[in-house]
Amino acid sequence: MHVEFLGVPRERAGIPELEVHAATLGQLLGALVARLPSLAEIIDDGRLHPAFVANVNGDRFVKDPATPLGDDDHVLILSADAGG
Amino acid sequence: MPFGYHGCVLRVDATCGRAERVPLDETVLRECLGGSGLGARLLLDEGWAAGDPLAPEAPLVFAFSPLVGSPLTTSAKFAVVSKSPLTGRFNDSLASSGFAVAGKGCGCDAIVVVGQAPQLSALVIDASDTADGDAPRVRLEPVEALRGATCRDAEAALRAQLGPGFRIASIGPAGERAVRYATISHDGRHAGRGGSGAVLGAKRIKAIAVRGSRRAQWAQPHELTALSRDLSQRSFGPATAKYRELGTAANLLTFNRFGALPTRNFQTGTFDEAVNLSPEQLSTTRAKTRESCVACTIGCEHIYGTAGGGVRVEYENLFALGSLCGIADAEVVLAASRRCDDLGIDTISAGGTIAFAMECAEQGWLEAPWLTFGSGDALLRALDLIGSREGLGDLLAEGSRRAAAAIGHDSLAIAPQVKGLEIPGYEPRALQTMALGFAVGARGADHNRSGAYEVDFSDKVDRRHVTLDAVRHAIETEDKAALMDSLILCKFLRGVFDDFYGESALMLRAVTGWDVTGDELRSTARRIVAAKREFNLRAGWTPAEDTLPDRFLKTPLPNDPAASLSRERLDALVAEYHRQRGW
Repeated sequence: MHVEFLGVPRERAGIPELEVHAATLGQLLGALVARLPSLAEIIDDGRLHPAFVANVNGDRFVKDPATPLGDDDHVLILSADAGG
Repeated sequence: MPFGYHGCVLRVDATCGRAERVPLDETVLRECLGGSGLGARLLLDEGWAAGDPLAPEAPLVFAFSPLVGSPLTTSAKFAVVSKSPLTGRFNDSLASSGFAVAGKGCGCDAIVVVGQAPQLSALVIDASDTADGDAPRVRLEPVEALRGATCRDAEAALRAQLGPGFRIASIGPAGERAVRYATISHDGRHAGRGGSGAVLGAKRIKAIAVRGSRRAQWAQPHELTALSRDLSQRSFGPATAKYRELGTAANLLTFNRFGALPTRNFQTGTFDEAVNLSPEQLSTTRAKTRESCVACTIGCEHIYGTAGGGVRVEYENLFALGSLCGIADAEVVLAASRRCDDLGIDTISAGGTIAFAMECAEQGWLEAPWLTFGSGDALLRALDLIGSREGLGDLLAEGSRRAAAAIGHDSLAIAPQVKGLEIPGYEPRALQTMALGFAVGARGADHNRSGAYEVDFSDKVDRRHVTLDAVRHAIETEDKAALMDSLILCKFLRGVFDDFYGESALMLRAVTGWDVTGDELRSTARRIVAAKREFNLRAGWTPAEDTLPDRFLKTPLPNDPAASLSRERLDALVAEYHRQRGW
């Protein structure tokens, strides 16, 4: 699937996007922190820190690590406080 | 005298420069706390809800708070409260920094200004070398030489003239000329929305200078110190990283990615050139520094270098003076932001009104062929005309709702406002819980009094198809905002709290000694929201005002047709909101 970082997650990742294969949100987050250790601040124990959120295809915001994901999904990782 | 307070209001009559100290009952303080809550109460007590906000008699309140002067991070804030000349409804605008500390240091919990000075003046309130319990010295200082001065220049001149220790809030040329969205500025920050600068200008007050170092006593100083240390520590964590590292400008690419970035007067929700204006891009092409308000550990202010000097960049000025006007040139947007700062006008209302006029010109409803989307020259020219109220600027200085009434045709349908206040950078069709927040806001379309966009960016709702379940979430954000604006704490802290009401109660208890609980503060928040509505009722509010312009209710977003909000759905949300509020 395609993963895109916005805002602080992009700053931490050091890249705007990448491709990852994972069957669930938990697997995806584990794979991300393994490939990009600098994401450890926002991904802890297979979950996003509450200050950050994940969105699937611009539609659904998800946080349950068991959330199934497909290869065609586009996952966005961003700050939870999107306004301000 | 209650802990955390001075227990009085300083009521100043600008007509003669005299002031009196009016006692504040502790029961009243506990009911409305400070900031917006205290300001709303004092404004109601003044009995001017049905009056002209630009009349000499109209009251203007500067309200401090129990936490001001404490070591709690981000607590150096004040609220400016009045009837808005833009909306004719309740208006509270907040700003930060030394003015709050020095103002409360004058030995009062609020300053109420009424009357009209005989000539353009600075209102000087000086509590230095006066005994606790005595009224501060108050005088009017003629400042005709500062007529037309920018906020920045006026503050600098008065600091030099008055001597050390004064903190100054001022208006720019726009406030002097009654631009209906003029700001009150302090130290480069603005009490920005709703036109409080025009209210002060109508009193012929160019600036208010305060000096004082009286301290309210804290009930539990050791506990307060411990709570303050803990809060500061948490303010360095991930929940505030966005504000430290990128500032609110980080929203720009995020909103664009979600099709929620208002563009070309809300004709669409994506801007192809958004990256040009993003902080990520700005940082690569120009110098950047960071600044903080007094007593703040977050440091959210990102100042970008330009040929004309440093410019503080926030999401709202990037959106309003950028994508909303179709401007992709960062240099122009930064120059326009600086122009707004100098004139003392709200960037959101300025950008919203100009973008509206651009579309009217495009439609042939307005004879201004030079005013086109994407033209930086047009944007800067329009801002100057607004500041001087010359030519077309005289109409645009009235805001988009009044301008639409003059332009006619179907322009009211595309005027981007609620209750007359221009809509901030959140596309309502793509963020429909926020659409409800805008519709019901006491001061109009408002992202600071309703944080309902947070609900849209969560798993609680489907942001493009919200149901009645969204209403309780929208109410929750409005209540939280009311409490934060009355304690006062910066909303950028909101992510650090696990139990906002409970932790707020602990802080307030340490300051005041009251046996206050989280449940009591929930009730207090609701009471403050209700007080704003009470003012609006007295000012003539009707339920028909709680809505959005036709554009948002008749046309799906072109970039995202799924983002569609019907009038029936919004009406149902608003009705449910009123029901849950018990109104």
